[in-house]
Amino acid sequence: MKVEAISLEKKYHGAVEHWQRHNFKDYETLLDQWEKYFPTDERFCLCAKLELGTSDTIAIGEHKGEKKRLEPEQLSEEEAAHLLAIIKAQASTEFGSIQQHAGTLERADDDQDRFWVLRVMAEELRHGYQMLHLLLSKDWSHVSRGVSGEQMVEEILSMQTGNHVLDAFNLDYDSFIDNITFAAIVDRVGKYQLTMQRICAYRPMADSMPPMLREEAFHLAAGVIPMRRWAQRAAQGDPFITMTAIQHAINKWVPRALEMFGDERGGETNVKFGFKDLKNREAQDQYIEEVQKMIRDINLRFIRARFPAYAPEQADAALAELERARGTHHGVRREDLLRTPDRRFFRRKGEPAFSMVGVDGEPFTDAEEYLRYLSRHLNEGYVASRDMRNYAEALRGVAAGTLAVKDAIMKMPKLKRVGGTCPCSKGVRWVMDGSAADQAASA
Amino acid sequence: MPGTETGTRIRPLDELDIDAIVRIDERISGIYRPEIWEQRVGFYLRRDPGASQVAEAGGKVVGFMLGDLRAGEFGLEEPSGWIERFGIDPDQRGKDLGRQMFAAMVAHFQAGGARSVRTLVDRKDEGVAGFLRALGLSPSPLEALEMRLDAKPTESR
Ligand SMILES: CC(C)(COP(=O)(O)OP(=O)(O)OC[C@H]1O[C@@H](n2cnc3c(N)ncnc32)[C@H](O)[C@@H]1OP(=O)(O)O)[C@@H](O)C(=O)NCCC(=O)NCCS
Ligand SMILES: [Fe+2]
Ligand SMILES: [Fe+2]
Repeated sequence: MKVEAISLEKKYHGAVEHWQRHNFKDYETLLDQWEKYFPTDERFCLCAKLELGTSDTIAIGEHKGEKKRLEPEQLSEEEAAHLLAIIKAQASTEFGSIQQHAGTLERADDDQDRFWVLRVMAEELRHGYQMLHLLLSKDWSHVSRGVSGEQMVEEILSMQTGNHVLDAFNLDYDSFIDNITFAAIVDRVGKYQLTMQRICAYRPMADSMPPMLREEAFHLAAGVIPMRRWAQRAAQGDPFITMTAIQHAINKWVPRALEMFGDERGGETNVKFGFKDLKNREAQDQYIEEVQKMIRDINLRFIRARFPAYAPEQADAALAELERARGTHHGVRREDLLRTPDRRFFRRKGEPAFSMVGVDGEPFTDAEEYLRYLSRHLNEGYVASRDMRNYAEALRGVAAGTLAVKDAIMKMPKLKRVGGTCPCSKGVRWVMDGSAADQAASA
Repeated sequence: MPGTETGTRIRPLDELDIDAIVRIDERISGIYRPEIWEQRVGFYLRRDPGASQVAEAGGKVVGFMLGDLRAGEFGLEEPSGWIERFGIDPDQRGKDLGRQMFAAMVAHFQAGGARSVRTLVDRKDEGVAGFLRALGLSPSPLEALEMRLDAKPTESR
């Protein structure tokens, strides 16, 4: 695997660094302490990386077998517009997750966990940078409706938690449990998207994927490994970490993660255009299977820690019994273990949007009862949020028949905050030329 | 990502393999030590994702081989691949899975510019040493040296 590293033109590189100073203040701490936490690992590089030596043939869809496209103009107008939207959404998620992580990072109770998340954030910054490279290195003007590359960058860097493209990136974290759970659950969707896009008919996009995927492997580990250790601590009676708290975070993120795949009934266009190799539901099905495996492993970690004398087969049997009979096993209840929420649970987009279904698939008919149920299955900080209030309002409308589901869906992502420009007193934009950029560098 | 239910396959390590690796190690060594494998898997996924491999049989992970590409260590400037830990479930041995995992790691190392693959082995462990010889590894001109620090100091001057 040979990789070409590329830097953005100075003013754009500076814009990303400027954004970092406002949104990712611990970046310097990470670089300073890199050797301590990641000894002998390659230093972090804020650059775009393109894999060399990949396939130059389109793998799927209408143009299967043809040469991959190297320029946006070689795509049809419809294809280029579609891909441009994917790149912008991807960029939004990368920058968005840094803003989310930054909110609660300092609350980590373990320094290794904190530095792992810091590294995840730095790599997300690189991923965002990578997407800006795709926007800026070629000419998209024929499908951007007059919006210049600079304006697109400005638009992306101005987004904040609340006005990002996808809902999962519009929710604040409520505690460090969210940092970890998000990495295990939401970055996992990222892995699927990047894996599907490895075959992208637009070659610069395809070649961006392998280096990002290699980093994503660590992001998932940075989520799953602390979760496994927490399960052990919970089993051993640590009063500060409980399986219920972890479950509440899972309940918060899994529904949003499922929605990142897009509507269950869609995804054909991506396959037709040769941008991805799975339709939405196919990818989502595989994802759910993977989350179930993750949760089962964490539960086994809990059971082995609670019953240290058990052989692996005894732990398997205990878990199987608890899942089947829902009773108790020497004081451990089914509710003490984690579960994968039903795919219809707490959904607000896609096929099951606004259906009222519990974590275990139990149906509800009364909106108030369902909201009370949610309040018991999500963490208290999140329940008291504006996001929940908006959701509850829409759900009540749907349940009362005064709001159509499709209109309720439309209402959802809009938490729009006021002002998206650079908070520096002098600067009003992220991308600046010459002396303005130098001045902002000291801001 | 979820695999096929039949046959065997070799694929790169991921974070959801920890459970299977802990089990295989427990079958081989008789010791349950999840912390160690969490740390090692975290390390390799960070260092060189794509290098370490697992073997699946019937959709279940039954073997693992962990390692990474390194340069500049011990004054060895040229990049070389290192194999650190491996194990195959005793019920699944003799099916060439070790050899196949090794081949996948070698391919990864070569793609990264390595000209050699290295490991350290306890000569007394004939099971492991024999396996490594069968794969084509042979004693290196580099010698592993060590000195006990917990025993009585010996004459050294
Ligand atoms: C070493 C081990 C991986 C070999 O597993 P395996 O299933 O026999 O491996 P394979 O089937 O892929 O064998 C590959 C080759 O090695 C040979 N081989 C395996 N063990 C051997 C031995 N002890 N002596 C000589 N050759 C051996 C096989 O015959 C085969 O050669 P072939 O292809 O020419 O027939 C397995 O025995 C094991 O897991 N042992 C414990 C490992 C351990 O202790 N790990 C901890 C240290 S990190
Ligand atoms: Fe990312
Ligand atoms: Fe990520």
